[in-house]
Amino acid sequence: MDQRLDGSTLLGNLLHTRARTALKNRAFSFLLDWMIWGYVAYAVMFFLNHYWYTWIPGHWYDTLTLPSWGWPLTIIATLELTVICRNFGRSLGMRAFGLDLYPTSGERISFVRRLLRIAVWQLSVPVACVGFWSNPAVPLHDRAAGTVLRSTREVDREETDANDALGIARVRKPEKRALTTQWGIMSLFLLGLTFWLGWTIIEANLSVLTRRADKAGDLFQKIARPDFRYFFKEDPIFVLRRGSFAILDLMVLTLLMTLLSTVLGTAVAFPLSFLGARNIMSFHPVGLVIYTVVRGFFNIVRAIETLLWATIFAVWVGWGSPFAGVLALTVHTIAALGKLFSEQVEGIDKGPSEAIRAAGGNFFQVIRYAVIPQVVPAFWAFTLYRWDINVRMSTVIALVGAGGVGTLLFYYKNEGQWSIVGSVVVSIVVVVWLMDYLSGWLRERIVR
Amino acid sequence: MEQSGHLAIKNLTKVYERGQVVALKDLSFSVKKGEFLVVIGLSGSGKSTLLRCINRLIEPTSGSVSLDGVDVTSLPSSRMRRMRRGMGMVFQHFNLISRSTVLTNVLTGRLGYTPVWKSMAGWFSKADHELAMKSLERVGLEEKAYVRADELSGGQQQRVGIARALMQQPSLLLVDEPVSALDPATSNSIMQYFEEINQSDDITVLTSLHFLSLARRYGTRIIALKGGELVFDGLPSDIDDSRFKEIYGEEAEEVEVR
Repeated sequence: MDQRLDGSTLLGNLLHTRARTALKNRAFSFLLDWMIWGYVAYAVMFFLNHYWYTWIPGHWYDTLTLPSWGWPLTIIATLELTVICRNFGRSLGMRAFGLDLYPTSGERISFVRRLLRIAVWQLSVPVACVGFWSNPAVPLHDRAAGTVLRSTREVDREETDANDALGIARVRKPEKRALTTQWGIMSLFLLGLTFWLGWTIIEANLSVLTRRADKAGDLFQKIARPDFRYFFKEDPIFVLRRGSFAILDLMVLTLLMTLLSTVLGTAVAFPLSFLGARNIMSFHPVGLVIYTVVRGFFNIVRAIETLLWATIFAVWVGWGSPFAGVLALTVHTIAALGKLFSEQVEGIDKGPSEAIRAAGGNFFQVIRYAVIPQVVPAFWAFTLYRWDINVRMSTVIALVGAGGVGTLLFYYKNEGQWSIVGSVVVSIVVVVWLMDYLSGWLRERIVR
Repeated sequence: MEQSGHLAIKNLTKVYERGQVVALKDLSFSVKKGEFLVVIGLSGSGKSTLLRCINRLIEPTSGSVSLDGVDVTSLPSSRMRRMRRGMGMVFQHFNLISRSTVLTNVLTGRLGYTPVWKSMAGWFSKADHELAMKSLERVGLEEKAYVRADELSGGQQQRVGIARALMQQPSLLLVDEPVSALDPATSNSIMQYFEEINQSDDITVLTSLHFLSLARRYGTRIIALKGGELVFDGLPSDIDDSRFKEIYGEEAEEVEVR
């Protein structure tokens, strides 16, 4: 007797929590739908304004604004649109929260019942919002229309269970194709709308490309006639702190920068990557804390682009100093490689580590004998790939004062000496191409 | 201590936290020195979990495992690693380091005896190298010592696995489905290695097997698991048709592997 009482209380609690989650999901999915319609309303207002200026002749110095009754009107209109879209078909919000409308009686919900549900909603929800927030019972509009808004997964599970009890194998209906559903069409519409909005906001203008093509052509012609004397001739104007350089000297300097930063970056990223691998560090809660910190470090440092690091280090160690470039490239290499390395470590086969542990090996022996042999090929590949990226990056970080061959490029670009710019560009192209080839060749040789 | 056997398992239970799956349910049995004990049962009956609970690659939820009177389950991790030296393990998927040489793979069996700093540099003593060559000779692979492990066939890889386990000079060999990734002919030859090791070195072998025919042929005793519970413990000859149906279910039929 006691047990049964306990059981029913438990079940009651469970149903109550479930109803609460259901209500929460319902509210959030509704909010999402409402936000979507709000966004559509915003877009309509934006385009009205935009084309008001561009299409209507004459000068319009004023923007279109909503009249005093506009805000309530917008709110009510979007609210009604939301309610309508949630009653006919499955809205995007319902899909996002895994909800769908089911009939409690009959095979399907008729058109009239849907209209009825919309009508009763106008009354039942405002009343519920005012007085019965915590009441998880079936709302009035659902009761009137004989419908229920439920989690599709839950319904699916119940149907499977019911069929299992009867011993019937259940054949699931295939999902409808996305573009035949309301949420699918809505998603596509939102994508298109956002693209249109973006196109307008960034003032994309294709005609400008053709209209001013001759200017670009002019410039291109000048660049295409590089002045090769500057390859070996020490530059008369351009003076670094340690003297004057020819392009070739600067190119060698740039390559040294990339070599230093790639080696340093890899050397630091390698040990860190094991600390940033979940499967290695999950032996203890402290390990997981270290994992989180290291991964966080990788993500944050990686999110700051090399160009920004170069800006910081150029201020720190001096404008135009190649050392700043090395530091910037190194820092970003550590983070980028660290993340790639850790992910590689996380993807290893755990069999060998099991074998080493079974033989009495400790943490370090597992890493040395089971983990490292598995990840070394990928580590090489990533490192060479990173070297490639560093070579390309090193040619432009001079823009923010981090030294290298780019210093020359940007200096003469500002001077308008396009033939020298051309010769720098040619040397960059040749070097990047060669390095690309070299790293690809090495990758093939080493990684097996 | 009142443990009668070499290896004693008492009330061993393992519950996987996620989903509350009970893999082993209050399992008790003991193994005598020199026995060739075969664990049979369907997939998911807890065979692998049992083997891994013995050397604590998987932590048991409750119960105890003791080897030669030492309670394994309560050892701190550093002493557990020493304990594991005495328990060799051979795996279903060989678990070799595929990009390393066969010799390196065999030498890793010695890691429990090697100081960490030495093993970091990859240095193993001369005695270890000699032992490794001897182990390889025993499984007939001495000429493959400097070949990469992934260049060997499945049967050869499993023999490397055996050589690696022998390097530990264990008193107990835990063998997890050693032949289920191999073809029938190779299976028998691999099982013969275990038989030989069991008989000439007096190493206790505890192996899980899928095929009853192999279990009958090599085991001196069989235990059967079903849903994590012990449903049979006895001689191979005691398993008749009704016992078989009890272990494997009504619809099962015995498959012969020769």
